[in-house]
Amino acid sequence: MIKHKDLRPKDFGKHPDGQLTKIEELMELPQPYNKPGMEPAFSEPKDAWKEKYCASLDGFIGLDTLTRPKTEEEEEELVHKFLSGLEKIFSDETNRNFLQPFLLSFEYCAKCNTCSEACHVFQASGCNELYRPIFRSEVLRKIAKRYFTNSGKLFGSLVGADLEVDWETIARLGELAYRCNLCRRCAQTCPLGLDNGMLTREIRKIFSQEMGIAPIPLHEKGTMLQLKTGSSTGITKPAFLDIIEFLEEDIEEKTGKKIKIPIDKKGADILLTHNAGEYVAWPENPAAFAIIFEEAGLDWTLSSDLIGYDNVNYGIWYDDAQARKVALAQFKAAKDLGVKRIVIGECGHAHKAAAVSADRMTYGADKVPVESCLPILLDIVKNKRIKLDPSKNNFPVTLHDPCNVVRQMGVVQPQREVLKLICPQFREMTPHGVHNYCCGGGSGFAIMQSMNFPEFRNKVSARMKFKQILDAFQDTIEDTSIPKYVCAPCSNCKGTIRDMLEFYKATAKFNVHYGGLVELMVNAMVDLEKPFLEFLLEE
Amino acid sequence: MLLLAFIYLSLFSFIGISLYRALQFASLPMHSRLELYPVPKEKGRGEYGGSYYEEMNWWTKRREISLVGELKEMLEEMLFIKRLFENQRPFWWISYALHLGIYFLGLWTVLLFVGAITEIAGLPVVTPKGVNPHWWTTLLYYGTILAGGAGAALATFGSGALFLRRLFNHTLKKYTTPQEYFNLLFIFAVLATGLMVWSADLGFNYGRAIFKGLLTFTPIEADGLLTLHIFLLGLLLIYIPQSKMGHYVAKYFTYHKILWDNDPNLPGSEVEKKVKEALSYKPKKTWSAPHYQQGQSKSQGM
Repeated sequence: MIKHKDLRPKDFGKHPDGQLTKIEELMELPQPYNKPGMEPAFSEPKDAWKEKYCASLDGFIGLDTLTRPKTEEEEEELVHKFLSGLEKIFSDETNRNFLQPFLLSFEYCAKCNTCSEACHVFQASGCNELYRPIFRSEVLRKIAKRYFTNSGKLFGSLVGADLEVDWETIARLGELAYRCNLCRRCAQTCPLGLDNGMLTREIRKIFSQEMGIAPIPLHEKGTMLQLKTGSSTGITKPAFLDIIEFLEEDIEEKTGKKIKIPIDKKGADILLTHNAGEYVAWPENPAAFAIIFEEAGLDWTLSSDLIGYDNVNYGIWYDDAQARKVALAQFKAAKDLGVKRIVIGECGHAHKAAAVSADRMTYGADKVPVESCLPILLDIVKNKRIKLDPSKNNFPVTLHDPCNVVRQMGVVQPQREVLKLICPQFREMTPHGVHNYCCGGGSGFAIMQSMNFPEFRNKVSARMKFKQILDAFQDTIEDTSIPKYVCAPCSNCKGTIRDMLEFYKATAKFNVHYGGLVELMVNAMVDLEKPFLEFLLEE
Repeated sequence: MLLLAFIYLSLFSFIGISLYRALQFASLPMHSRLELYPVPKEKGRGEYGGSYYEEMNWWTKRREISLVGELKEMLEEMLFIKRLFENQRPFWWISYALHLGIYFLGLWTVLLFVGAITEIAGLPVVTPKGVNPHWWTTLLYYGTILAGGAGAALATFGSGALFLRRLFNHTLKKYTTPQEYFNLLFIFAVLATGLMVWSADLGFNYGRAIFKGLLTFTPIEADGLLTLHIFLLGLLLIYIPQSKMGHYVAKYFTYHKILWDNDPNLPGSEVEKKVKEALSYKPKKTWSAPHYQQGQSKSQGM
C-alpha cells in the first residue's frame, strides 16, 4: 500500500499488497464532533468482496457490477473493451455532444492545482492524493496518450504516456470515477475553465456505454427500471394512484383540508413532476406541494402516465443514451397530456436533466417548456397567495444549495427569498449560493448503498456538508431543546442528509432535522392548527 | 536572408497554427449544455450567479443580456487572471509575472514595429547624436525600453520561478512531465538569450532593425548571440500553439462556448437550427454495451 502523500498518478498500475492506498486522516469536524468517539470508524472491506469486486483502489466498492474476470480471456476482453471505449470518447462519430468540452479539458490542464482547493472530497479526505481532481484526469491522460497518441508512442514518459493497463488498473479507474460527486465546483475555479468533473463523467461513460458496467442503483434499478415501469422506484400506475389516495387521506388527517389531487388533467397549465422517491420516503413533500398549489389556486396536475410522474433521470450521472431516452419519454408524457409547462418539484438532478441537459436533446413540437418550482413558490409567498405566519417557523433554519439547481442552473435567489420571508432565524451556510459545497450524495452517491460505499459517502463525500451544517448551527447546536432545520430542496440531497444525520446521530443527540422548502411553507400556514413538521409535534 | 525567411516562417506559423487550432475546436459538433454559474452575461443576475430560470414562464419573457458584464469579467480574467488570484494567490504571483511579462513583450513588439515604420518614413528614432529629440521618437524610444525591460524581467522571473516551483513543490512535482519542464525552460532560454542581446544594446535598436528588415525584405545583420536568440524565439513561436501553452485559444472556447453558453433552445432560435442539424446526423459507429443496442437511435445527438 502506498502512503497517500507519496502516491503519484503513474503508480496507478502498481499492485502493492492488493490495495493502492487508504484514507489516513480525515478533515476535522467542528464541535461537538471534534471529540474522539463521535463518529464510527471505517470498517475493513470483507475478503469475499475483495475476491469478487475491485476493492484494490481505496478499500471501498461503489461499482457493484464490476466483478473480477474468471479467466484470462475474460480479462483480455475487458481490457480490449475499455480501450475501445476510450477511443470512442475522442471520436466525433461516437461522442459528438461532449467532444469539444472533453478535448479542451483533456488537452490544456496546466496542473496549477487550483481545483484541489475547491474539491470537498479532496479536502474532507484529509487532502488524500487519490481524490485530488487532477489525479484521476492525469491517469486518464497517461493511458490515452500511451495508447492513442503519436507523441505518447514516440516519447513515452517524456510526455506523460507512462501507464500501461491491465484489468486491475482499469477497474481502479472505474472505481475512482465514483469518488467524485460531479458537482463541478472544481471547474468553477479553474483559471482555464477546464472541467475535471466532466472528465470523470466521461470515464463513467466508457464503463457504462462500452463495457455495460454501472452501479446497479443507477442503471439496472435506475434508468432501466424507470424506462420499463415508469419509475426508478418501481412504482407502477396502480401503485401510484394508491399513494395519491393515501396522500389525500393523510393531508385531511394532518391539516383538516379536503384536497383532491388532480391526476391526468388534460390541458392543465402545469404538469408538476416529483422525484418518485418522495412518494416512498418523504410523502409529506408531494403532500405539501398539493396543499400549496391548491390553496394558491394554480391550474396544475400530476400524471399517472408511464414516466410522467417520476422526474428523475439518472442518465445524467453516467450515460448519455439513458439520459436522452428518459428525457424524451418525460417530454412525451407532458405532450400527451397537453400541459403548457413542466414544473420540476424539489429534485436537483431533475432540474438539471430536464431544463438544462435535455434542452438540446429535441426541438419544436416534441419539446415542452420546463421550469423550476422555486420561482412559483416565491411568487406565492411574495404575493401572499396563501396566508403565512413566519412565527410558526421560529427556529434556526439553514439552506443547502443543490448543485444542479444553483451552480449548474442559476436558480439562486427564489429559495432564499422565501426563507427570509417565512423563517425568522434563517442563516446562510458558508460558502453558499453558486459557491456551495455538494451534499456529498451527488452523481448517484445518495442511492448507492452497496457494501461499504455508504461509509465513504457519510464520512468523506458528505463530510464538508456536515461541517457546514454544524457551523451554521454553532450558536445552538448543543442546546438540545432547540430544533434546527436544514432546508434541502432536493430529494437526492435530502437522502444524503438523512443518512448523514443518522450516521452521526445528530438528530438524536442535537435535535437537527431536515426537509424541503414546501414543508416549511405549509408549516407556516395561518389556518393550520397543528404544526405540519412532525418534529414540532413531538415537542 | 535565411534568418529573415525563418522569422517570417515562425511568425506565420504562430498565427496560422493558432488559427488552425481555433478552427478545429470551432468546427466540432454542437455540445450539450454545460454552463456553470455565475454566467456574467446574465443581466442583473451575473453578480450572484442567477439566471433566467429564476423567472416564472421564463421562455415567454425577453432575455436580457449584459455585454458589459461579460466584457468586464472577460477583461478581468485576461488582464489579471482573476480566478487564479482569487483561488490560489501564491501561484498567481509567479504565473501572473510570466503572463504580465508576455503582455509587456507584446507591447514592446508593437512599439518596435511602429518604431521601424517611423524610421522607414524618414524619422529616425536614434541619430548618430543619440535619441532623436522629436516627441514621437522620444516616446517610442523610452516606451520600447520600458515595455521591453519590464516584460523581459517579469517573464524571465515568472518562467524561472514556475520551473523551480514545479521542481521543488512536492505535489506539483508529481504531476509535471518532462515535457512541461521543457516548456518552461524553453521560454526561459529564449528570454535569457534576449536579455544577453539587450545588454549590448539597451535601446533595442537591433529590434527596430529587424522589423525594418522584415518590412523592407532586406537581410538582417545578426551576430552569433542574436542569431541564436532569433532561432530559439522562432522555434518557440512555432511550438507554442501546438503545445498546451497555446491555452489562449482554449480559453476562448472554455469560457464563451461552454461555461457561459446558456442560450436556450427556443422555437425559431439559432440554437434550434443547430440542434435540428445535430440531430439529423447519423453516426456510422456506436457504443457496444447491451442497453446501447436496444433501441438506440439518436443517443449521440444533443
